[in-house]
Amino acid sequence: MNVGNCWHCGEPLSTNPPQATVAGIAHAVCCNGCRAAAEWIDRLGLADYYRLRSAPSARAPDPQDAQRNAQTWARPELARHVVRTLDAGHSEALLLVDGIRCAACVWLIERSLSATHGIASVQVNATAQRARIVWNPAQTDLPAILAALAQTGYSALPLDAAALDDARRRESRAALKRLAVAGFGAMQAMMYASALYLGAFTAMDAATRDAMRWLGLLVATPVVFYSARPFFAGAARALRARTLGMDVPVALAIALIYAASVVEALRGTGDVYFDSVSMFVFFLLVGRYLEMRARHRAGNLADAMARLTPAFADRIGADGGIERIAALELRVDDRVQIAQGERVPADGVLESAACRADEALLTGESAPVRKLRGDALVGGSLLLDGPAIARVTRVGADTALASIAALVARAQSERPRLAQAGERAAAGFVARVLTLAALCAIGWSIKDPSRALTATLAVLVVSCPCAFALAVPAALTRALSVLAARGVFVVHTDAIENLALATHAVFDKTGTLTDAELELAHIDAADRDEALALAAALARGNRHPVAQALARAAAELAPRNAQEIRSVAGNGIEGVVDGRHLRLGQRAFALEGDASDTDDDAVFLTEDGKIFATFGLRERVRAGAREALDALRADGVSVELASGDAQAKVDAVAQRLGIEIRHARMSPAEKLERLRTLRADGARVAAVGDGINDAPVLAGADVAVAIASGAELAQAAGDIVLDGENLPALAQARAIARETLAVLRQNQRWALAYNLAVVPLGALGFVPPWLAAIGMSMSSLVVILNALRIGRSVPAHTQPATSTLAHSLP
Amino acid sequence: MNILVVMIPLSILLLIGAGIAFFWAVEHDQFDDMDTPKLLPLLDDPTPQESDLESEETKDA
Repeated sequence: MNVGNCWHCGEPLSTNPPQATVAGIAHAVCCNGCRAAAEWIDRLGLADYYRLRSAPSARAPDPQDAQRNAQTWARPELARHVVRTLDAGHSEALLLVDGIRCAACVWLIERSLSATHGIASVQVNATAQRARIVWNPAQTDLPAILAALAQTGYSALPLDAAALDDARRRESRAALKRLAVAGFGAMQAMMYASALYLGAFTAMDAATRDAMRWLGLLVATPVVFYSARPFFAGAARALRARTLGMDVPVALAIALIYAASVVEALRGTGDVYFDSVSMFVFFLLVGRYLEMRARHRAGNLADAMARLTPAFADRIGADGGIERIAALELRVDDRVQIAQGERVPADGVLESAACRADEALLTGESAPVRKLRGDALVGGSLLLDGPAIARVTRVGADTALASIAALVARAQSERPRLAQAGERAAAGFVARVLTLAALCAIGWSIKDPSRALTATLAVLVVSCPCAFALAVPAALTRALSVLAARGVFVVHTDAIENLALATHAVFDKTGTLTDAELELAHIDAADRDEALALAAALARGNRHPVAQALARAAAELAPRNAQEIRSVAGNGIEGVVDGRHLRLGQRAFALEGDASDTDDDAVFLTEDGKIFATFGLRERVRAGAREALDALRADGVSVELASGDAQAKVDAVAQRLGIEIRHARMSPAEKLERLRTLRADGARVAAVGDGINDAPVLAGADVAVAIASGAELAQAAGDIVLDGENLPALAQARAIARETLAVLRQNQRWALAYNLAVVPLGALGFVPPWLAAIGMSMSSLVVILNALRIGRSVPAHTQPATSTLAHSLP
Repeated sequence: MNILVVMIPLSILLLIGAGIAFFWAVEHDQFDDMDTPKLLPLLDDPTPQESDLESEETKDA
């Protein structure tokens, strides 16, 4: 399109765009927000931002709106929740910043804020999309900071002060420290162990040998008591809850190897396994660290909810004046005014004549819902045309949004019960080893009590050597990094198993198989090109998805200029092109009052009340969706579509993608019920959705796959998060997950076979130390080399989208 | 083998030193964001600033 795109945000331009002057050169921008942001950035001397950025900025908020919203945070009722006072001269707040697209954004925010008077420190984390800001309350305040951010083109939402403690930061710091201690400990322990193994050949004298053992004890002790603490804590929690979680066998293995080695070091006989225990802990921690990073990267449900929860309300006072307050302060029976494009602050009843609302958040339905006087408005839904006036009926925990949050919490807590079957198998192994050790102890006590302890320890220690310890973490760690390299982020390691064994995949439609855009399906007109060119002239620069679809479709045609463009929100656009007075929009609007609403989706272009052309639009299916679904079906997965949308739209998309089982008009509760039914029949269900609007539904599946694109990736909540531009990666991920399971089983079998061969010999005292040393290192090596095979046979299909989020995992 | 009496305590001291240095780095925000700081120096291209902006700028840099 040669009309061009906005210099600041890259959105298509309207015909008469405003101009922003940056570094002395005028650039066309799409709106006043972008112009203000660009000129402000230039005034700060930070125009280099435009040279440095690798992605277009987010559309800047409207300056007046932003100013008004920022002022609301000055209200003590709100400020109390979001500002923490550090000491007399410092206050602190954590902001969720929308629109951080690349490192240049971080540079810009840090630069522009540190130029603001009174700000002591600014820390921006691009992956978390958060900024931590410390300022001097005597010199500036939160509204001023928010206004400064908005001026630079970023809208920010202060997070609850409880979030300041930032559980994620604490968790990641603690994990790094434990990892470092385990790593250092493992290296040193290996050194002393090698000396011991070599000493077995060269008749090391007893004093040196004992010294090496004590040194091993010295370095392994912090590893066991500091680094391995999460495993013990997890095991204790599981035991208190009377379950055998994954941590129980792990903690037991660590405790047993360590205790046995300490006993041997004290007695000065037998073998010590301080190196094994340190390596075991180190590898487990590496796996957990990778998992944690993926989890932090994926964005959490709490942030998603915070974005959806409306923060402000415009209350209409008794005198008819409008006061902007926090949504928290609303009481039942308050009357509120809702502006176009804002979220409904609480559940209520419409008091003005009519409006349209987008309730995708609650129903999954992408089409706007028409509301008439007396209809219920749902808190959190988006008002598409306004302003509207509503009377509040429910606030706080009673609202529909709060009940969705509760639904999420419940669905998440239900899942672990099903995941426990796998954990029981692991616990079973420990039980068998303990039984074997007990049998051995009893056997030797009868035959020769003096050798009972040595033999029992040999069984315990040899049965839990590196090979078995590494079998699972080595395979999983490799799988996590192979998948991350393909743009698939695994948030919970359990998800690998569940994805590999999934028998059903239930897809959401909007935002998952289709992207947010529409595309032109057909044109009904005498001269199609002429009709399209005229419609595009009106539509260009309008942000409505229909208008953008028309503008895109006409990209090849010579652009026409339209004058006197007037857009009627929610209805259509009128204007003059080449001297002809045209109307583009819904039937009722285009025909000026003929309200026979027959075809909802069609868009009409009329001239003087006569239909000139009719455009049919349909949802645009994501690139690669068909390919991904075919690959899954070829793999024996039964594919279903469950959507909140109307039957006709669901059918249209399902037909194009060849999906036979489809459900339309499903509420989140019905979708959850569908998942439950499938699972009750023994199916393993993968639910695929956008991870934002349908997070509650995803939480009810065996494995939740969240598909998002670009900046939304960081907000999507799921077990597995992948970029929507890279849908076929889902089928690859499943192939890799299956391979991982196969390798994992081979590893376990190999370790078991090795143990079965060695344990009896060890128990009978037939294994000399040098043989044990070689056997142990060889068996570990086999396990690791086997794990490295994962991902070799599945060629990377396409490179994942080069977002800042995708390319920095190991 | 007497050299071990010197070398091993020395290695352990080094180890403890490295551990302390790492803990210090973790506590001082060095590992909180592994993605953006590596790119920031590439972007750092000082341009002439208005004087009042400059003083704040250098304080934080």
